[in-house]
Amino acid sequence: MMKRIVKLRVNGVDHEVLVEPWRSLAEVLREELKLTGTKVSCNTGNCGSCTVIMNGKAVRSCLVLAPKAQGAEILTIEGLAGEDGALHPLQDAFIEHFAIQCGYCTPGMIMASKSILDESPDVGEDELREKLRGNLCRCTGYKKIVEAVLAARDKMYRGAE
Amino acid sequence: MSGLTTIGKSVVRVDALEKATGKAIYCADVVLPGMLYVKVLRCPHPHARIARIDAAMARNLPGVVFVATGEHAPAKKLGSIIYDEDVITKDIARAIGAPIAAVAAESLDIAEEAVALIDVEYEKLPALFDPEESVRANPPVVIHPDLAKYEVGVPHYYRLDPERPNVFMHYKVRHGDVDKAFKSADIVLENKFTTGRVQHCALERHVTVARPESDGGVTVWLSNQCAQARRADLCRLFDIKPSKVRVVQPYLGGGFGGKAIMREEAIAVLLALRSGRPVKLELSREEVFFRGGTRPRLIITIKDGARKDGTLVAREMTVILAAGGSAESNIASVVRNCSFAAVGTYKVANFKWDSYGVYLNDPIANPFRGFGNTQVAFAIESQMNMLAEKLGLSPVEIREKNLLREGDINATGEITHSIGAAACLRRVLKEIDYGRPAQSSGKWVHGKGFGLANKYSLAPSASSATVKLTEDGDIILYHGSSELGQGCDTVMAQIAAEEFETSVDRVKIAYSDSLYMPYDFGTISSRVTYHMGNAVKLACEDAKRQICERGSAIMEVPAAELEVRRGRIYRKGGSKEGVPLSQLFAGYGPNRYGSYLAGGDIIGKATFIQDFTPEDVQTGQIDHKPAAGGLRLNAFYAHTARAVEVAVNVETGVIRVLKVAGADDMGQPINPKMVEQQQDGGIGTAIGLAIMEEVKLEQGNVLNPNWTDYRFPTAAEMPKVADFKTYIEAAPHKDGPYGAKGFSEGAMMGIDSAVANAVYEAIGVRLLDLPLNAERVLEAIKRKKG
Repeated sequence: MMKRIVKLRVNGVDHEVLVEPWRSLAEVLREELKLTGTKVSCNTGNCGSCTVIMNGKAVRSCLVLAPKAQGAEILTIEGLAGEDGALHPLQDAFIEHFAIQCGYCTPGMIMASKSILDESPDVGEDELREKLRGNLCRCTGYKKIVEAVLAARDKMYRGAE
Repeated sequence: MSGLTTIGKSVVRVDALEKATGKAIYCADVVLPGMLYVKVLRCPHPHARIARIDAAMARNLPGVVFVATGEHAPAKKLGSIIYDEDVITKDIARAIGAPIAAVAAESLDIAEEAVALIDVEYEKLPALFDPEESVRANPPVVIHPDLAKYEVGVPHYYRLDPERPNVFMHYKVRHGDVDKAFKSADIVLENKFTTGRVQHCALERHVTVARPESDGGVTVWLSNQCAQARRADLCRLFDIKPSKVRVVQPYLGGGFGGKAIMREEAIAVLLALRSGRPVKLELSREEVFFRGGTRPRLIITIKDGARKDGTLVAREMTVILAAGGSAESNIASVVRNCSFAAVGTYKVANFKWDSYGVYLNDPIANPFRGFGNTQVAFAIESQMNMLAEKLGLSPVEIREKNLLREGDINATGEITHSIGAAACLRRVLKEIDYGRPAQSSGKWVHGKGFGLANKYSLAPSASSATVKLTEDGDIILYHGSSELGQGCDTVMAQIAAEEFETSVDRVKIAYSDSLYMPYDFGTISSRVTYHMGNAVKLACEDAKRQICERGSAIMEVPAAELEVRRGRIYRKGGSKEGVPLSQLFAGYGPNRYGSYLAGGDIIGKATFIQDFTPEDVQTGQIDHKPAAGGLRLNAFYAHTARAVEVAVNVETGVIRVLKVAGADDMGQPINPKMVEQQQDGGIGTAIGLAIMEEVKLEQGNVLNPNWTDYRFPTAAEMPKVADFKTYIEAAPHKDGPYGAKGFSEGAMMGIDSAVANAVYEAIGVRLLDLPLNAERVLEAIKRKKG
């Protein structure tokens, strides 16, 4: 099958890639654009390691075919920090609360958490745990991840220091 | 411990920023110019001979650079202790998934297409899947007829059973006289337990990138827990000199024991050497289930004799370990070492142990965070409750009666030292309010339970470290252990910072590369904090000694009167401001020429060796004399207690773990928050292994080799933050750095038995088989109703 041109905007930068239509967005990001912060673990949409934000919604980039990202605005872990290099409150919280171990789930976990907080600034622990069902971690037992996301929520929306 | 500045503090992990920003590099992220992609053709049969193989069509496909079959594989076999598997099958495949051919092509698509074009004719052979049949003297199938002729790696651990042809190791412990003791016992209780296969499920799959070098050598980027051991394996297999095999290790995305062996890395190296191009081989998630290893099934029988007061007078155990078509590292590290679960917690005057590792035509099985001790502890801790009930004692009383104490001789002849088991037990009982009945609601019936465990760390083994002083007085630390996520880079940075009385940000951890990295045995057996920690501490002492010698000339004070702290050299006990370390480099234009230093670089180095005294092959006992002199079989034992409150749905059989309290004895904690990380993660995984996870095998095939069908816990299956508590109950070890022990495997132990004991308390049914999934619970409830 013929390759197709896919135009997309990633972390504020416009790109044009020429790929087979069966390529996933994860492959475009990692292999064409060399944005390897997005991880691929199961490649079947179960684990959420490849979560990125596409047009404001969290998606599993291993399940999004490249042509589906035509014209899309994508945010990956590499684009999350501010232009001044200041970390996003979620990144700060994951570091400070020891929510990172091997780190393979971390980019997806942080992007999924960003999407959860964007949609539900009032998210509580039970709801957060339900919403994080699509993001698997084998190192942490999720405890410190949940603590980190709730701490970031407090900082972003409740004026906590 | 007093006077410590950085040890015992929860400093931020040195790898956290890289990992939070997506900058951390893992093996899958490595891409080299001209790199090819590898796909492996795998055997679809559990036991088959390759009658004919024709790869001509694959070789002719445009974009294919090299197709390797068994004829290209090294003559030497792969393995650990017993070398029993071809890099690519030459004649007989003994498991589904065994490599039959491998293609290196310009893209993965082409490699996959080429694999499908390889024509193989198999002669199917009778296969064996039942461990209790395999262990017999006359099994229906002999899986390795030439087993006794295979090359052997470490003779001390080579213990075939001449009576049993499928047994690759038979390990024995004989302590006291169990037969006599059973006769004197007031009661005897025997039970049989089984544990299912489970998968490590590290988020990062197994990846290798191999680049052939002009000098005939090879550079290998790999996701493996034991880089130095893999280097040695590659030298042996491909007959390349050690100086020409370079192993580079980026961050690992989890290991848990599933990346501790040499497996498909060798296929990548073979294709790199044959094609003359760099290659990348990344297992798919499905391939990980077949070739990444899984925790082996164990069949465990325990026969106990006890007195009315609860004293355990005799314990006889038999363990059958169901391996796959190759023995892997199960030989010593599981078949032998899972016995330590039975010797490290309780005092048993008369103890008899036989464990057998048996071949089956199943996919490979290998260690998983605990080397079999987790499963043996599950059986023992279930049995202890059953024994207590039969004696009319409480589960707590029977343990307190039999726990090993400091100075006790254990069932191998070792002298017990550093045992926090009783303190861990007391702590979790208090935190779960054990003894106060749990409140049930409707169809959800609640119960509480607890379990203990210990985790040995192996001996003998060695670790080496090197530290180098930079011209501004900072430290570069070279240690060869693998950062798999457990945090060893931070632990080692803290130790170096402690030794120099400086901050962790003034310690730079060098990237792991065998070209300059000193030796390490491997990142297994919870050994790194203790072994490498000691090596780093000693290497820092060596560097400080050199600094004081140089400082002596500048300060005109004998070196013995100087000390190094906070980036300066001070006169001991002196109040005057010291000389900054950078001054050692002064006068030689550090800004223009870098680090030139009169007398040459300051490089401290050290090797820490944990010696051992070997056990007698027939009895598993060590001699009294070396034991009294401080020698032992294992480096140390970490201790664990877990207590839970569960709810059992009596209509569906579903178990929920509502509350958990965990306490661990890891000696002096180096970084308490990172201790919690291990506890949280160990408990999290253990909950999955206890109640939901199982690799389903049918005729040697894995029925659920993906994360749609093999489910492990999500955030929603974990107890809430407020109900998930962990504690440190440290019993410092005299030989550990600052008294520290490793405990990351122990952190995953004790949950399975705690849940089984809690389920019994809740609904009165005793489950002897892991996992305690809904089907089993429901069936047990029905059985009880009659």
